[in-house]
Amino acid sequence: MKGQIWETRPLECWNLAKEIRRSYDGAIAGKDKVLGQGMSSFTLDWASAFPAIRVVEDNPVGAMMAAQDEPFARKARLASEVRGWGREICGYHNNCWGAQFLGHTSDGNPFPEREFTVPFPCVCDSHIKRGQQCRDYKPIARWTNDFTMYIGERDEKREEAMLDHRNYNTLKMLNEMEIVFGQKLDDEMIYDMAKSYTNIGDIRSEIAYYMTFKPTPLTVKDMYSFFQLRPSPKMGPDVLAKFWESLRDEVKWRVENKIAAVGTERFRWLEAHPPPWHYLKYYRYMEQYGAVCLGSQYANLRELLIEPDGSYEVRSYTEPAFSADMELTTREDAVRFMTTPDARSPRHWKIEEYIEPYKLNDMMKIYNCDGALLGLWRAGVGCTLTRKEQAIRLREEGYSVMVYEGSQPGDRVDLDEKRLLEQLDTWMESLGFRKFED
Amino acid sequence: MIIAGIDMGVQNTRAVIIKDNVVIGRGAAPTGGIDRPEMAMKAYEDALSAAGIAAGDVSKVYATGKGKFDVAFADAVLTETVAAARAARFYFPEATAVFSVGADETLAAALGRERLISEFVLNQKCSAGLGIFITYLARRLGMTMAQAAAVDVADACAVNDGCVVFAELDALSMMNSGEDADAIMAAAIKAVAVRAATVLCDLTAPVGDKVVLVGGFTQSPAFLKALSSCMGREFLVPDDAEFCGAVGAALAGAEAE
Repeated sequence: MKGQIWETRPLECWNLAKEIRRSYDGAIAGKDKVLGQGMSSFTLDWASAFPAIRVVEDNPVGAMMAAQDEPFARKARLASEVRGWGREICGYHNNCWGAQFLGHTSDGNPFPEREFTVPFPCVCDSHIKRGQQCRDYKPIARWTNDFTMYIGERDEKREEAMLDHRNYNTLKMLNEMEIVFGQKLDDEMIYDMAKSYTNIGDIRSEIAYYMTFKPTPLTVKDMYSFFQLRPSPKMGPDVLAKFWESLRDEVKWRVENKIAAVGTERFRWLEAHPPPWHYLKYYRYMEQYGAVCLGSQYANLRELLIEPDGSYEVRSYTEPAFSADMELTTREDAVRFMTTPDARSPRHWKIEEYIEPYKLNDMMKIYNCDGALLGLWRAGVGCTLTRKEQAIRLREEGYSVMVYEGSQPGDRVDLDEKRLLEQLDTWMESLGFRKFED
Repeated sequence: MIIAGIDMGVQNTRAVIIKDNVVIGRGAAPTGGIDRPEMAMKAYEDALSAAGIAAGDVSKVYATGKGKFDVAFADAVLTETVAAARAARFYFPEATAVFSVGADETLAAALGRERLISEFVLNQKCSAGLGIFITYLARRLGMTMAQAAAVDVADACAVNDGCVVFAELDALSMMNSGEDADAIMAAAIKAVAVRAATVLCDLTAPVGDKVVLVGGFTQSPAFLKALSSCMGREFLVPDDAEFCGAVGAALAGAEAE
């Protein structure tokens, strides 16, 4: 390969990842399922513990629509806009909602009717509206999954009350779903999930640590694929946990043997936020320059505990809230086991902008990065808060920063793709890099 | 060593021949449409002719501009920002920033000591096509570009400066209400200056006091006056401002080899 600096080879665990994905896709297909709209997060994939309740999130559906069928995505957005949903709404929501209004998906099949919705609030602007749109469309059951967000000084009593509220909401939702849909939640599976997911959380932290090495054994585009893996009845939480363990072992081995994810790695960069989800190909474009993306506040912040002096340690997901081998005997145990460390983690990365504005600077040092790419969104605008200030803070420390405009997830309307590529060319060229193919 | 630079913009193509850091030939041609490769060659041949040399005497040809990939005979292409920045330093070694306003693109770059470019901003959709808009409006008003460039902007009224589409609508309203062509053009140029200025203002790095202005708009005294007025600063304009892209491409390209 032209410009190759490091030895590289494909990840061996890709095959298992693809198998898990296929198994999950198969599990949500079929007409016998109760589908819901909402968040089935990595840390609390509660829907999988019901025999036939599945969550269809707006995010992947809307983003895939933009990636695979732009004419249909445009039609869908228009259908949403004429009903009053403005362009400031996240693009993937507008895509998804429009398809719901049109009544079909891009392949002509009926849009999957949702029987319930579980929105959650988020500062980016519109997550909570997901539930509103669904309910406006058709009267369906609605539960709410709160976040435990508070940007003031750490206050343990307040935190405890917030967690109680969140856990109560979750338990209430699970109990009521059993009644409303006549399905029994598999508590044993919830216990397994709680254990395996928290274990996976710790493994992810280790992997994030290995990505600080040069050359990086893994890039963020790989991680985005793995983040989306979910268990299925056939390939349950234990298989998922095994996958992450094998990924961690492989990544460790690659670090020890200096096996790079990208053989031409010579420029390492972070971003504040992922690009529009349909546009992940820009990572590969940057790799033509030997520029490798290590992640973002969005993707990596929760993995490492960064102290105010910039020192850090790999974060344990369960400790110190609970012991990792704590025995779970009730549904509430399992819910608390999962939500408590999650709530205390720095995963609510948008808060960082208010309380720890130099966090991206810290990450730049930890990940040995050279530059940062910051998006300014015209939709999902909450994600854009303080980006320009962040650019100033990074430049103060000598990092090269590029800022670009677009619309965040899953919408091509305000992303000028050609323009973005020109900007990337300019950024790289201004730093003295040429594409290896030139 | 003799090198050449071609800057193929949206409306105009410029070519230069440089020998030992001195520009010895210049050539120009309208960019045209489907015949852009031929227009690039025409500008290049004009430059060769002006320099009194043959193509075989040129070591390398470097292209920049929106049409850079249509310069089939170029040895390498460079981005417009890098070319503009290098040209700014060539004409003004103490330059602290470069600001380019052309037919389609507006760009700004803060220049550094360790790195030529410490920060750059390219216009996004809302500031695209400023020069094209003025060309179009001049045609509509029955003015030549020289006349458009000479209007008095001192007391110009304001039209929308957020988007040329809205600016055009405002200009049409002025036409319908009987304003004279000079006043309409002055208002449009003032709006374009404000719009372009937002790109320079978008830099977070200090731009310093030696900002070099390049690009097609340097040929418009009306624009220069409107820009200086709205930004409250003067700009350094090279004598060869229209050829800066080509000069910068040649120099930066050769240095990158």
